[in-house]
Amino acid sequence: MTTLWPRLEPLLPRVSKPARYIGCEDGMQRPSGGPHLTSWLLTYPDTYEIGLPNLGLQILYELLNERSDSWAERSYAPWIDLEAELRAAGLPLFSVDTHRPAGEFDIIAFNLSAELVYTNVLNCIDLAGVEVRAAKRSDADPLIGAGGHCAFNPEPLADFVDFFVIGDGEEVVGEITEIVGSWKRSGKQSGTRAGLLRDLSKIEGVYVPAMYDVAYDGPALVGVTPKHADVPPLVGKRTVADLAEWPYPKRQLVPVTEVVHDRLSVEVFRGCTRGCRFCQAGMITRPVRERPKAQVSGMISRGLERSGYDEVSLMSLSTADYSGIENLVRDTIALGGGALDGCGDTLSGAGRVSVSLPSLRVDAFTVDVAAQVSKARRTGLTFAPEAGSWRLRQIINKLITEEDLYAAVRSAYSQGWHRMKLYFLTGLPSEMDPDTQAIAELAAACARIGQEYTKRASVTVSLGGFVPKPHTPFQWFGQNSAEELARKVRLVRSALGRNRRVQLKWHDPAASTAEGIASRGDRRVGRAIEYVWRKGGTFQEWSERFSLDMWAEAMAACGLDLDWYVHRHRNADEVLPWDHIGAGLHRDFLWQDWQDSLAGYGVEDCRWTPCYDCGACTEYGIEHMVASSVAPNGGSQGTGQDLATGHVVPVELRPRMMAGAAGSAGGGA
Amino acid sequence: MPLKLRVRFEKIGKIRFIGHRDVARVTERAVRKVGLPVTYSEGFSPRMRLSFGLALPTGYESDSEYVDLPLVPGALSGMAADSPEIACGSALHGPCAVESAAAGASYCSVAEALSAALPDGMRVSAVLLQERGGPSLQSAVHTCGWRFEIPGLSTANAADATKALLEADHVVATRVHKGQTLTDDVRGSIGALSVVDETSRGAVLAAELSATPRVVRPSELVAALAAGHEMGIARRTHQWTCTAGVRAEPATPAQCSLNRREELVSE
Repeated sequence: MTTLWPRLEPLLPRVSKPARYIGCEDGMQRPSGGPHLTSWLLTYPDTYEIGLPNLGLQILYELLNERSDSWAERSYAPWIDLEAELRAAGLPLFSVDTHRPAGEFDIIAFNLSAELVYTNVLNCIDLAGVEVRAAKRSDADPLIGAGGHCAFNPEPLADFVDFFVIGDGEEVVGEITEIVGSWKRSGKQSGTRAGLLRDLSKIEGVYVPAMYDVAYDGPALVGVTPKHADVPPLVGKRTVADLAEWPYPKRQLVPVTEVVHDRLSVEVFRGCTRGCRFCQAGMITRPVRERPKAQVSGMISRGLERSGYDEVSLMSLSTADYSGIENLVRDTIALGGGALDGCGDTLSGAGRVSVSLPSLRVDAFTVDVAAQVSKARRTGLTFAPEAGSWRLRQIINKLITEEDLYAAVRSAYSQGWHRMKLYFLTGLPSEMDPDTQAIAELAAACARIGQEYTKRASVTVSLGGFVPKPHTPFQWFGQNSAEELARKVRLVRSALGRNRRVQLKWHDPAASTAEGIASRGDRRVGRAIEYVWRKGGTFQEWSERFSLDMWAEAMAACGLDLDWYVHRHRNADEVLPWDHIGAGLHRDFLWQDWQDSLAGYGVEDCRWTPCYDCGACTEYGIEHMVASSVAPNGGSQGTGQDLATGHVVPVELRPRMMAGAAGSAGGGA
Repeated sequence: MPLKLRVRFEKIGKIRFIGHRDVARVTERAVRKVGLPVTYSEGFSPRMRLSFGLALPTGYESDSEYVDLPLVPGALSGMAADSPEIACGSALHGPCAVESAAAGASYCSVAEALSAALPDGMRVSAVLLQERGGPSLQSAVHTCGWRFEIPGLSTANAADATKALLEADHVVATRVHKGQTLTDDVRGSIGALSVVDETSRGAVLAAELSATPRVVRPSELVAALAAGHEMGIARRTHQWTCTAGVRAEPATPAQCSLNRREELVSE
């Protein structure tokens, strides 16, 4: 085993935040390796403090180290100061666990959580000493893999990545390990890499771009088709049917330096069927699979005890929808109080466990939940109305009313919060200026409610430019230009006027344009990504490093029309670059939902109502796993159940004909 | 009488690259893991009351870091027995002896429990049970002992440079503070300086540098001693207090933490 530590250590005093590179986390593993075992370097292509908390990477890290035929270490993109030092010293990318060179691993696997990290992926491959283009790699080179939500449109990175994993990784990493392991034990013989890749392409959920031909007709994509008969024409996602079988991470990594989410994280469910049409995560992770409450409680109590954390984040796409969320929060907060019985009430702060709930739906955030959460330290509160007007929320199927939002906000202020954040998107389909301006009205109204409770009441509006994503009903929609998004930001700003109770923050519209290139790009876009990387365009998620001019220059230099890729509406019959990747969703379901959206029809949440056959369950023979047969805390979307606030969501649900589908198996609870 | 634990710990190896705030965070988690009954601040966001000695610059090692942990009233049990015990609240730990090494006992001590809960490289070397009150660690410490390496500098050259520096009336140090370049004379802050060892990389020096009016760092000395050389690994060996002309450390590894037991027991 080689460690670069003695050569790396003298460089660290010269760089910012050297603790990013030392590992030393509680839960870190020091695999001893072994010539017959398949080694994985799990790499997050952004800084350590952003990448370390990523649960997906941590789950695979544990699973691969538990297996007897594999081991895994981790790596993160070195910041530009260390990268310069590494290149000057002739040192490669390294693992933080034992500081092994990246090139010594059999597989370097990237987590793709956002499109703007793509240039960092190329940089990490290069820094590992591996050819950036997959076609140029030799037999003994590490295999470059990638997974995560962005892998659902793998084409922009297809020239650089040997294999993609589509969907949940828990099971498939084992299957990949076995195939790569037998190839490794046979000596990685010259000329065998293509055969290995072909074997990998036969694993369900694994996409090997080199096994596919791409045909174009002028600018139009004609199709991405397999080169061989035994390579699947459609690569469907992998889905773990029962989260209870995967109680990971069991030993969450506890870092020794500050990271973006520095708390215990427990995934309470995966998938979401609220049906928000802009949300890729909610479309590609169906169905809803809840973790049993007893298991969640066990993971929380063991995790807190082991880690020393006093805060736990209940992770999911919409945590207030978890069956029995109030009880779970109450029991979690009680964990802290119970530990120090007998020590008297002077221990006011000791043993407190605070709960943070990311991604709250306002229709499920009640005064009861607020009261439970506020018994401990009040964590930050973020609500996501997403659109300013009811009309537009119908279009995007975020079926929450103004009353829902005000009730949630009132719950929070009444329980002692004085600040909250509201997330909105702008540049949504059919959005008109009154819709945009309504964001300011909603925010101002929330701040007014707050002032009934506290003089300090304030609201932060976080405004993002909408980037249409693959495998969503909005995948056909032409993205707003950066200028138009900037104009809409100005609209909100001027509508807010001099309201000092409302702070406005917005995402750089130019960055949304670059994201749009990679989001729905085809294989040709990879050339522009490579161009930006070669010009030094790493860390594009960091505003001080981002430049849209560089992306525009890259597109022009590669003969690609930025406008065509980003701003153009797609037609019903157009071949999309991700048509050969399956998220389970029927294409005609997505198209119908796109048309329903424009017609103002809503769609119900199928975890509590009959199946409308989007395809996610029926295609894979799986079902929702939800403990409660009714929506918790109101959240009546499509159920007809009274909201806690006492009324029914006034949306017209489109009568469904079960079009094009055989039966309606798989729905319900 | 309110009590506190005064904890001395090391910071050696890879962990030297974490900053002072990181040390506070990992210490807080370690205290919670052990379940020590420490006090918290009041208010909506209660924080554990930890009070550290002088901040150690990121990248420096240390034999002698300190943190005071104020204990809640009633935290101590077993007072009548020979060894005070602390009622730890964690499921991982039962009662912990304040210090067991001196008594030769085999049960878990606070020092062992904290060491196990801290990252590799942060080892607790002493735990003292003291009365609360008195000057804070930060104000009590007035000089620090350091040991540092200058790679590429021979011991002979280091000795010459040391002699010249100690004979000089003024030693000008330049540093960047909050974006501004500051220059001052640090001669008065250099209490001792000598070449003490040699490694394959270069000379090893020891120094005692004043903590007031500001903490002078060994890296500033290296710049004055051997321009163009980078400092190698530096380690804080001591934090010295001075009470009524008597120089002492806030706690020493050899010191038995029960040295105040008689007083406590007789109260």
